[in-house]
Amino acid sequence: MRIDRLVTPWAERAPDRVAIDGADEALSYAALDALANQFANAFRAAGIAPGDRVGVHLPRSGRTVAAMLGALRAGAVYVPLDPSSPPPRMKLIAQDCGLRHVVIAPALLANWIAAGVREPVEHFFLGADGPVPEGAAPAAVHPWSELKATSGAAPEPAGTSPDDLAYMLYTSGSTGVPKGVMISHRNALAFVDWAADQVGLHEGDRVASVAPFHFDLSVFDLWSSLSRGSTVVIVDEATVISGRRMLDRIHAKAITVWYSVPSAIVLMLDDGGLAERGAPSLRTVFFAGEVFPMKHLRRAMAAIPQARFFNLFGPTETNVCVAYEVKGMPLPEATSIPIGQASCGDTVAIVDPEGRPVPEGEVGELLVEGPTVMLGYWDAGRRTPAKHPYPTGDLVSRRPDGELMYHGRRDHLVKIHGYRVELGEVEAALNAHSGIQEAIAMAVDQQLVAVAVPADPAVSVLDVKRYCATRLPRYMVPSEVRLVESLPRTSSGKIDRVRTRAAFIAADWSLLKPAQRAEARKES
Amino acid sequence: MEARVKSEIRQHIVSTWLSGDERGFSEDTDLQEGGILDSFSTLALIAFLDSTFSIQLEPADINAQTFRSVATISRLVMEKLAKNGAAEAAR
Repeated sequence: MRIDRLVTPWAERAPDRVAIDGADEALSYAALDALANQFANAFRAAGIAPGDRVGVHLPRSGRTVAAMLGALRAGAVYVPLDPSSPPPRMKLIAQDCGLRHVVIAPALLANWIAAGVREPVEHFFLGADGPVPEGAAPAAVHPWSELKATSGAAPEPAGTSPDDLAYMLYTSGSTGVPKGVMISHRNALAFVDWAADQVGLHEGDRVASVAPFHFDLSVFDLWSSLSRGSTVVIVDEATVISGRRMLDRIHAKAITVWYSVPSAIVLMLDDGGLAERGAPSLRTVFFAGEVFPMKHLRRAMAAIPQARFFNLFGPTETNVCVAYEVKGMPLPEATSIPIGQASCGDTVAIVDPEGRPVPEGEVGELLVEGPTVMLGYWDAGRRTPAKHPYPTGDLVSRRPDGELMYHGRRDHLVKIHGYRVELGEVEAALNAHSGIQEAIAMAVDQQLVAVAVPADPAVSVLDVKRYCATRLPRYMVPSEVRLVESLPRTSSGKIDRVRTRAAFIAADWSLLKPAQRAEARKES
Repeated sequence: MEARVKSEIRQHIVSTWLSGDERGFSEDTDLQEGGILDSFSTLALIAFLDSTFSIQLEPADINAQTFRSVATISRLVMEKLAKNGAAEAAR
């Protein structure tokens, strides 16, 4: 099976049912199917070859989905580009994977031209009516009217293998240069079918599309929904910034299935009146991408008592590899919920730094093997196959009941209120303070915490925070700073992050003994 | 009255964001420069002020000037309390 064949059976069986309910236009299954064919035929006419990459730089809409399907039907690979990303980053991606064909909004094309981004694009296809921007030459610009005049007949099938590359999602690399995660049809469909089966997705479902298409959460919204004849309801870019507007959309469109980062749900609780208004149409809530703070999860479950809640877990490289259904309100003493057990036909293992399996209850790195593991990276113009099994960089442990618990990243990338924070950068700032001997930073329940050993007993918490505020963006200044006598060590003499974190959470101040305090020098 | 308001706000900030370490902190310490207030901690502080002093801070009340230090926040709270008092008396 391939993604580009999911829609046609529904276009035949239920041609008039709405496939994509967008902010500006709704496309029926028949209209989506035909528009996808028009895109495929237009790409063919513009000389696309099987395996070529097609950039899709449009706001989320039915047309955007048609362009992605059209690329696949032409035997090509779609690369969703972030509509809010600056042109220089687009240039890096376009050059990295050699985008010769790009579907683009007229206003975004004007930005590309102004920034001097043309190479290596040969054909721009406009995703809407409007004047054709000047200055794209030597690339050809194909207006929307030309696409609408293209035949909507099904093209000759191009790709046949489910192991062909289907799409690439560019993620930020640790060096700051984006790299493409290569996902095959088989990779994607292992998740798409599993997720649809989990909740019995059907023709009557109205599934929200909240995540940008360059985030892997959108793979469920689009392809799981379209594979089961459901309707995708676009919750557009202007709506997702407001809790009230998101909840209005859920009510107005009777959305039944919702998949987003927890922050979006918290926004509806804090600023949308979710607790008072409820969301009676919702039957399933999936969340992923960051830890859902327990107090907020409880509020959300109380506000939407009829819905099933699922915690989905996995990096872009494996899509969802572990999942957990939150059955019943978590107990008051629970401080976290599991990430669950292997999903989508994958198998998982937990290993120590030497690659040996760790005993039950101990923390190690999560390894994943199975159908969702990406083909590899497209990086610096080269394809690098994925490691097998794939090391996720995520630290987990296994409980006696088999459920996996999450303990953070092996590298030190965390998310605080949705911001990606590299802990090493925070630690570098802390350690640059002359009054600090050593320090570590960690994320606990959405709070950035620093534990530091002062070199000078006169150093105060305020000194440390003030210093950080001069060197770091405000969201990277630790909200809590603990000054301690010493930090626990591992057998190899390194700071024991796991024990430090556990002691902090347990408020174990015998392990993290408060540092001696001398009166601060008078503030000048 | 103002002294009590100041001391409650000060105690709350010291225990919530300075791990109880008062050293170097005064009612004139700049809370933004001090790395104490960001958008999230400001929201938490507003909730504390509203519930502790039974006032209703409006978006127009909250800016870099009014939330600069314990002294400026206390002034804002005192103004709000005075308005409440006037409204009660008029009833």
